Amino acid sequence: MLMEDVLEGDCLIVSLNEKRLDAVIAANFREALVARIDQGQRNIVLDMSHVSFMDSSGLGAVVYVLKHIGHDGRLRICGVTPGVMAVLKLTRMDRVLKTFETREAAIAA
Amino acid sequence: MSTSEPLRLTVPATLLDARAATERVVSLCDRFNTEDRADYATAVMEWLVNVVKHSYSHAPGAQIKICALAGPEAIELMVEDTGRGMAPWQFDAAPAEVRFDPTDVYKLPESGMGLAIIKSVMDSVRYDSHSGVNRLTAVRRWQR
Repeated sequence: MLMEDVLEGDCLIVSLNEKRLDAVIAANFREALVARIDQGQRNIVLDMSHVSFMDSSGLGAVVYVLKHIGHDGRLRICGVTPGVMAVLKLTRMDRVLKTFETREAAIAA
Repeated sequence: MSTSEPLRLTVPATLLDARAATERVVSLCDRFNTEDRADYATAVMEWLVNVVKHSYSHAPGAQIKICALAGPEAIELMVEDTGRGMAPWQFDAAPAEVRFDPTDVYKLPESGMGLAIIKSVMDSVRYDSHSGVNRLTAVRRWQR
């Protein structure tokens, strides 16, 4: 699984450089994000601009990360493609997950 | 009226093959707009993953049969497996939407969303299980 971290101030930007966040990689993705949180990172922007498809397993992993970061942490998502937005709308999780068009907007929020 | 030849696949019941099979089925869907195509891809993947994880529980050597037919009005999909499946009443009883309280983050669902996605994307969907064969039949119109 290809991921890239960039630290901007206290914000960790994690780019998932995969075309699909689905059942094939969902568990690895979840554990990779949880490891970053457990290492102390509480302010994360997840850049999904490379991800053209997400299924409910991938979404479940994102939800797990949201819970794991807790109320004192921040998880925002940027670069949401039509394929990712599709599952957010189908499940109505677009009401819960904070999404932004650009990385800059997510960092500034 | 023109109808394509059906796409018939028999694939190993693995997550990687579910992914590849989804892409093959969705390659028939050039009459969908971008949003509908994404919805349909999600629904197909949800069912195939359900078969791999739950019907077969990742059993080695298990196979999934898939038939997809892109017709003039709709795409028809049939998926067969010979795993433990589920009772048809369980499929019928599953809600057609994902239900949760958006104000309670800690109770958000992390799983169990697949059947709701399938039911909300497909115009008609039927699941039956006879003589050891579990079969999902689903139809989605090109235009809603």
